[in-house]
Amino acid sequence: MLASINRKLGLLLFIVAAVYLYLSFQLPNYEYAPIDADVIPKGLGILLLVLSVFLFFSRVVETDAEKAKRNIPKKELGVIAAVFAMIFVYILLFEAIGFIITTTLFIFFCSWFLGYRAWKTNILVSLLFPIVMYAIFVFALGIVLPRGILPF
Amino acid sequence: MKKTIFAGVLSVSALAFAGCGSEDAANTAGEDGNFEPSKTIEMVAPAGSGGGWDTTAREVARVFGETEIIDENMTVINREGGGGAIGWAYVHGKEGDAHSMFVASPPLMFVPLNGQSEHGHEDFTPLANMIADYGAFAVREDSEFEDLNDLFDQMKDDPESITVIGTSAPGSMDHMQFVRIAKAAGVDPTKIKYVSDQEGGALTAVLNGSVDVFSTGVGETIEQVRAGNIKVLGVTAEERMEGEVLSEFPTAIEQGIDESFVNWRGFFGPPGMDQAAVDYYEAKFQELSESEEFAEVREKYGWNEMYMGSEEYSEFLETEKEEIASLLEEIGLGQ
Amino acid sequence: MDAFQGLLTGFQVALSLEGIMFVLIGVVVGTLIGMMPGLGPISAIAIMIPITYGMDPAPALVMMAGVYYGAVFGGSTSSILLNAPGISGTVATAFDGYPMAQQGKAGKALAIAAISSFVGGTVSVVMLMLLAPALSSVAISFGPPAYFALMFMGLTAISSLSEGSTIKAMIAAVAGFMVVTIGIDPQTGTQRFTFGNVNLFDGFDFLIIALGLFAVAEVCMLILNRKNRSLSDDQKLGSLKLSKADLKEMSGPVSRQSFVGFLLGVLPGAGATIASFISYIFEKRIAKNPEEFGKGSIKGLAAPESSNNAATSGAFVPLLSLGIPGSGTTAVMLGAFLVLGVQPGPLLMTDRPEIFWGIIASMYLGNVFLLILNLPLIPYLAKILSIPRPLLISLVIMFSLIGVYSISFNVFDLYMLLVFGALGFAMRIFSFPAPPFILAFILGGMMEQAFRQSMTISNGSLSIFVDSPLPLSLLLVALISLLVPAFLKWRSNRLAYKQR
Repeated sequence: MLASINRKLGLLLFIVAAVYLYLSFQLPNYEYAPIDADVIPKGLGILLLVLSVFLFFSRVVETDAEKAKRNIPKKELGVIAAVFAMIFVYILLFEAIGFIITTTLFIFFCSWFLGYRAWKTNILVSLLFPIVMYAIFVFALGIVLPRGILPF
Repeated sequence: MKKTIFAGVLSVSALAFAGCGSEDAANTAGEDGNFEPSKTIEMVAPAGSGGGWDTTAREVARVFGETEIIDENMTVINREGGGGAIGWAYVHGKEGDAHSMFVASPPLMFVPLNGQSEHGHEDFTPLANMIADYGAFAVREDSEFEDLNDLFDQMKDDPESITVIGTSAPGSMDHMQFVRIAKAAGVDPTKIKYVSDQEGGALTAVLNGSVDVFSTGVGETIEQVRAGNIKVLGVTAEERMEGEVLSEFPTAIEQGIDESFVNWRGFFGPPGMDQAAVDYYEAKFQELSESEEFAEVREKYGWNEMYMGSEEYSEFLETEKEEIASLLEEIGLGQ
Repeated sequence: MDAFQGLLTGFQVALSLEGIMFVLIGVVVGTLIGMMPGLGPISAIAIMIPITYGMDPAPALVMMAGVYYGAVFGGSTSSILLNAPGISGTVATAFDGYPMAQQGKAGKALAIAAISSFVGGTVSVVMLMLLAPALSSVAISFGPPAYFALMFMGLTAISSLSEGSTIKAMIAAVAGFMVVTIGIDPQTGTQRFTFGNVNLFDGFDFLIIALGLFAVAEVCMLILNRKNRSLSDDQKLGSLKLSKADLKEMSGPVSRQSFVGFLLGVLPGAGATIASFISYIFEKRIAKNPEEFGKGSIKGLAAPESSNNAATSGAFVPLLSLGIPGSGTTAVMLGAFLVLGVQPGPLLMTDRPEIFWGIIASMYLGNVFLLILNLPLIPYLAKILSIPRPLLISLVIMFSLIGVYSISFNVFDLYMLLVFGALGFAMRIFSFPAPPFILAFILGGMMEQAFRQSMTISNGSLSIFVDSPLPLSLLLVALISLLVPAFLKWRSNRLAYKQR
């Protein structure tokens, strides 16, 4: 089953290439350029199509190191997914609630979630970091970060 | 690396912040129906720092503050992206807000006409036009062309032999100002070869002879002309401009080509801005335009004065848009 | 006025009390802003413009120049420590700088970067001084066909940027090239793969890709290894001791790449980012032990660092001597000149020699200041790595988000950072190398535009690429660099086969 991962990836990339190629063929014409906007994308699409076929049939044996990299426990993937979800929520609330509050909450909960139990330091950093960054950006550099619901 | 152009929100002064606290006190019209701004005015530059829109916005905000024509603070914020579309959409979302405005120029027509923005000038409240800039068509100093007619004659004979370069995409300003003049001279507008270079290589390509004609703003040519690297065959102004080098540039009109193009630059408010507020800003912009301090700014950047009040501006824009739309239609770029 | 006399005038400006003070302010502000992820030289210069209102032009511009190269100097810090490139010119710095820091040699890595930057900066100022007028003709010698050839030459190096599967490297490169096709096509105004979404019209900012593929993907790896002890606070971490052997190893790449970087910096449109990549590839190609590259090689760190700083001074050639801004950064710089009533261009040297030579002279000073200021900071900066892993992870995520937000102020870009972070992580897991992706993203876009500009100019004839010597020779170099390694590989395979 050594080749199977390459097969799966090859198949996936084949689909990506096909979609990209399909979209390239939908690009509108422009009359005044000898090489229109669709030429390079079509070339790239075909190239990826060919490469994905190569990958599919490639008989290169996966090294142990490569295999180890892929071998991630489901639970750990869950942790990464959870962090991504936290970032997502952060972005969602970033402009509405404001930089300082969302950042404080994010640093505290994300660090705690990842196993940081020194909660005093954690609170200190989660409060100081956003406030210092905010002060530098807004007052020293004149770059406005979202103020949100705070009055300053 | 245009994409890395920083599009920060920069306050003109940190003081602007002090004004933000009193937000709730914002009222749009005084008791007698006159408008006075009551909080920081947000001026949007729909582009990154350093470009024409940004510079205009910052200079206007600065001079407004220094001359105390407008007492309230003005903060310039940048909303970059989509050739302006992201900034326009941002202002469009502030319907009726009398403390918000943005700086604009012909791309506010070109971009929607090219189908790249939902919002055009008619979706906003014109406040005033402030300055005018003109296009210039330049060739290398040792070029065989001596004036626009030489160039256009060659283009009529053998359109494939001439390449025009500009910074903007086809269908936008650098392209269309050339098409407009060339068409008036009798060149087939569908046969004009135009390439765009947005990475700063346009002037280079003219200097090393890769392309023949550089379609750009007048200001970009002055220094190169002084140094004897390029010559300007014609400018799109109605009459000769004033200034040391500028006055040497012949207009297209005096070369018998009856067409001109203005790169206007002015200010717009969000849709549905109160008439009292429009009147207020119109008057303030006029005062600014007539001030000595702003005259110095114009001098510094080589801009020409072109004040138009809200109504006149509206009409001017209508006519311009019609012309550009039909021209785009003709070369098959209209959407 | 000859160069020598001019330089004397320049040093009079730079060495006046005022001059020294403003150089110092410039480089300090520049380094600090450069260290902030996302804030690069463009923001640094734009931030400083209002401050210069009403100042004398010469000291003001000396300060602005300091801000510019100071930001490039400082940009390497977050690349090395956090794998989060502070500016686009220091992406290649992370390739070897970050692994080196992970091996507990953060102080050393930062010291190598600082010294390489210093040498790169200084060598290029010497060249700027001696050659600025002469090089202005080089700066304009590249037309679209030559740019195409140059970018093509860079792209042929993709296979050498990665280990392992060539197919996977090529797939990564094609994917990077595909991503750069998203947006409005400059040559035709056609929207490509934007789905009508305004946020995609301008394409993706380079830093979104770089921070996603490097910083966020690295965060994922850190999460997997979060239970490992954080890099211990043993003293080696902050130590910046370089052995004689280290210095010797650096000397080759630094001296070569200072020149390469400078020359590429001179070309409008190329700039520090492309220079740093090309220098990295260059050194890897000629190295005796290319397999060390990407794993904490001193050469691999010294090459891009000397190159990006040299390119920064190089970019002053077209700006000062021609008035042509070759990049977004120099365009803003040009704006700074105009605000102060100075028009850079062919006449600057004769009209305002004190400005032209003052800026050049101040760069010598500025580079010395940067080195003196940065070296003592290194032990403290390196301590960042002894922050406990979970906390460090949260902070790196925040840095990346703030960095992207301060580029465009568009929340959409933050979501895209997340998307590219996920992509970067997937690429790591399945052993697709990220450098070819990044390289194709940078070079591919410019290559396509240059190719199509050339074809419009030539009315569709390919002969434009071989008709003049410059593009022709660049293409030949590209061809040779493609064929020779392939031939060598084929021969060694055959030999091995015969011996069996």
